[in-house]
Amino acid sequence: MITFTIDGQTVQAEEGETILDVARREGIHIPTLCYHPAVEPYGACRMCTVEVERRGWTKLEASCTMPARDGLIVRTNTPDVYRFRQSLMGVFLSRCPNVPLIQELAAEYGVTEPPYPTATPEEKCILCGLCVRVCHDVVGAKALNFSSRGVDRLVGPPFLESAHECIACGACSIVCPTGAIEIALEDEAIYKEKPIGPTSAIHVPSLQAVPRIPVIDTNACIRFRQNDLTDGEIADACGVCQTMCEAGAIDFDQQDELVQLKVGAIVVATGFAMWDPKELPDLGYGRSPNIMTGLEFERLTGAAGPTAGQILTAEGKVPKKVAIIHCVGSRDERAHAYCSRFCCMYSLKQAHQVKDKTGAEVYSIYMDMRTFGKDYEEFYRRIRGEGIQFIQGRPSQVTVDPVTGKIFVEVEDILLGQVMELDIDMMVLATAIEPPPDAARIASTFGLGRTPDGWFAEAHPKLKPVETASAGVFLAGCAQGPRDVPDTVAHAGAAALEAVRLFNRGEVTISPTVAIVDAVKCVGCGECIMTCPYHAIDHGAEGKAVVNAVLCQGCGTCAATCPAGAITALHFTDEEIVAQIDGLLDLVV
Amino acid sequence: MSEPFEPKVVAFLCNWCSYAGADNAGIARMPSPPNILPIRVMCSGRVSPEMVLRAFRSGADGVLVLGCHIGDCHYISGNHRTAKRIPLLRNLLGYVGINPDRLRLDWVSSAEAPKFAKVTQEFVETVRALGPMARDSATEETGG
Amino acid sequence: MIKDIRAHVAEKLKELDGVVALRRTTEGTAPYLFQEGDDLSQLVLEPRYPLASVISLLQKRYPEARFGIVARGCDTRALVEMAKREQVDADRLYLLGVACTAEEAEECHCAEPAPDVSMWPEAEVIGTPVPGAPPNPIVAEYENMSLEERQAFWQQQFLKCIKCYGCRDICPECFCESCALEDPLWVERGTLAPAFPMFHLIRAMHMASRCVACRQCELVCPAHIPLTVLYDLIRRDVGDLLGYVPGADIAASPPLSLTLEDAPVQVELD
Repeated sequence: MITFTIDGQTVQAEEGETILDVARREGIHIPTLCYHPAVEPYGACRMCTVEVERRGWTKLEASCTMPARDGLIVRTNTPDVYRFRQSLMGVFLSRCPNVPLIQELAAEYGVTEPPYPTATPEEKCILCGLCVRVCHDVVGAKALNFSSRGVDRLVGPPFLESAHECIACGACSIVCPTGAIEIALEDEAIYKEKPIGPTSAIHVPSLQAVPRIPVIDTNACIRFRQNDLTDGEIADACGVCQTMCEAGAIDFDQQDELVQLKVGAIVVATGFAMWDPKELPDLGYGRSPNIMTGLEFERLTGAAGPTAGQILTAEGKVPKKVAIIHCVGSRDERAHAYCSRFCCMYSLKQAHQVKDKTGAEVYSIYMDMRTFGKDYEEFYRRIRGEGIQFIQGRPSQVTVDPVTGKIFVEVEDILLGQVMELDIDMMVLATAIEPPPDAARIASTFGLGRTPDGWFAEAHPKLKPVETASAGVFLAGCAQGPRDVPDTVAHAGAAALEAVRLFNRGEVTISPTVAIVDAVKCVGCGECIMTCPYHAIDHGAEGKAVVNAVLCQGCGTCAATCPAGAITALHFTDEEIVAQIDGLLDLVV
Repeated sequence: MSEPFEPKVVAFLCNWCSYAGADNAGIARMPSPPNILPIRVMCSGRVSPEMVLRAFRSGADGVLVLGCHIGDCHYISGNHRTAKRIPLLRNLLGYVGINPDRLRLDWVSSAEAPKFAKVTQEFVETVRALGPMARDSATEETGG
Repeated sequence: MIKDIRAHVAEKLKELDGVVALRRTTEGTAPYLFQEGDDLSQLVLEPRYPLASVISLLQKRYPEARFGIVARGCDTRALVEMAKREQVDADRLYLLGVACTAEEAEECHCAEPAPDVSMWPEAEVIGTPVPGAPPNPIVAEYENMSLEERQAFWQQQFLKCIKCYGCRDICPECFCESCALEDPLWVERGTLAPAFPMFHLIRAMHMASRCVACRQCELVCPAHIPLTVLYDLIRRDVGDLLGYVPGADIAASPPLSLTLEDAPVQVELD
């Protein structure tokens, strides 16, 4: 243990710690520009300079690179130190006079004007080397480095050309203190948007996630990407999250675990996916960062979102005119013929939010207003009274001005019988919902049918909304079809109750039209087992087929398959059917 | 005086789709020929080659099998097996000199009453043009 | 080649509980379970007999035993379809494949006279594989016949049937213990010739994904009915419509029992 003092306070240090490490731990402030806890200290900026007295000698040292030693006396804010930092800021401000961080820090030391001539007023890079260190040590891509010397020194990829080692992870951009590095997408329109999705590879999916713990998106995570890209050569890039996690809860080696459960009931609550509006390009989704889906708008306006709930365009401005388009991809023969049911209500809510938060002109462009539920019509009336312009009609051509970014949309107001052209700053598309992309696989796994629109099939459209064709498998929520939150709660409650009902009874009533096997005739060939859509038949004693009468739904396909006639469909036996055939043909003379 | 030939057509109808479609056709007063002799099964998958052949043997001039559309089977995939069995059986009939058009497989949902009427009308006319089945059976004369 | 086979069998008998092959004695030739110590000079390859049925019975009777079988191409294919239907346990079987000669292939119009043992856990082939022979020309002739001509053809042929059930008995894939052809519901009793088209088409449909073209049914028929015509055609249909060749792949499940996703049918579906 090393003991020394900082500003008169006695502190302890481990072997290898620097003065800055200790100061930060003790909560003693020392300004830095080129320091970051995730990379080795570099000592480039010298802002962390402190006065160090040892054996009677006093020197100015960079605290980030000076190891702690027994008996040191450190002073972080003497007049010498202050003057030193002042002159440093003069240099920085002269190099980068228009960088807000430098301006603020310089102002702290009383430097408001650059004392020296400025070579490049737009310069943002302070040559702190954080991007280089991150790229080398944390990411392992080594795509950036310093080049040239003296006044020509700069940071960039080799020969300042696009480097294929760069994996576009954005670490350099995040770690850069002055915002000198921007991420730009090649071949795409200018996309300087605020992020609508998660802002880091490790993130909590949403505040309502269950369980509410972070997950790592292995497609974005630097560690996993580097491992894939280099075929395992760089297997431990970054890992900053693991280093920072105090609970030690991050395990990169986690593997999928296959768990076998024996259950009596299954509730399928697999929800929905959003339809991709890029499939119908006329509404311009993807041509402007200010054209977004209803779900993306929810993120924008949510208090936990990227703007803390302020409704701002991608340029950071408050929009003056906003259009909300209903039925995008719904009720549309080119996309989904069905109505997605809950979008009218949320679109009205969003219209209200825009009006309330920004006072902008709001256009609500709809086909029919579907506000069918309890108090929904009253809600619609209220919103109508808020000065929002309701236009019944369909939008067509959307154009985006490449210079101003303004969005122009043509819409026919069928009530007025006029075609209007609206120029707007922001457009929200209430996009359709659809079954998730793996719905076919889910259906086949659980023996579910699907209705023509792709949602899972309920046992009866009127009378059995939560049961399915497979006994013991129930549907909850949007898996069965579009519905909003109150309806989902009711539906899911019904599904839960049906499942519980199975357990509470001591016995189960089943239909008598089940299949049974005559074990004497059966030779165990297994073709009936392969045929049964419900996997209700299995090999039993001596390999002969045995039907689980509770799973059997009585279709009789097995009976038609068995060449030996060893399996019978009760109440639809061969004898009964032949009797009908003979009877009918005898009657008709 | 010999009467004009009236074909006898046995129709296997699945409970959930085609049988309901037939019911709906009746309710909507859409005409279906009386030559159709319906037999209800729970699923078109229940229809075995044996019972189709038995229908012919017992005196049917034509056999119609109607099930749910593929993907809509009430029992998920019962009709998949029908979709394979009937085409094979049709070919076999052709190989022994029985006109395969005497056996038809089609898909009629409960909502398709007009299709039921149309398919049954069409099929009865097809069989009428083919004439009585006895003409096609090779061993009729032996009394076998 | 026969010496080769006998030597192989002798060697294998040291580790197997028995090998099924044909044995010729003064009383005739019949399937036999050769065991260690038996006189292998009695082991013969003719006449052709579907030994696959024999091995199935033996395996069921002795569930722990490990047997071998001397199998031609047709036997091997038959074993494949039987294995898929739990009638033969491939893991307890040593397969000594015998390649038929060109003359034998010609006689049977056989398309695959050499056994394909690649999918058997323990197997080898003796003899030089020869290429397949062209199909029986009668099939092509038959296909060109009109419906009326076909009717007349069968009127001539099926009238000869005496319902001996020979075709059913000899077929390796007919292993049902209760046969639909003996069910009075489908095939009337006490009449000859058997009811048309019940008897023949029921058997053909049941054999649809099982017939491996071993030709035993035709060879054994005392009335010389050319069953090949019917069975070659249905085998071809199963190949064209369902993409399935019985006997070709032990891992392929019988398509008629599977969904359309797992085994599609090449026909216009509305």
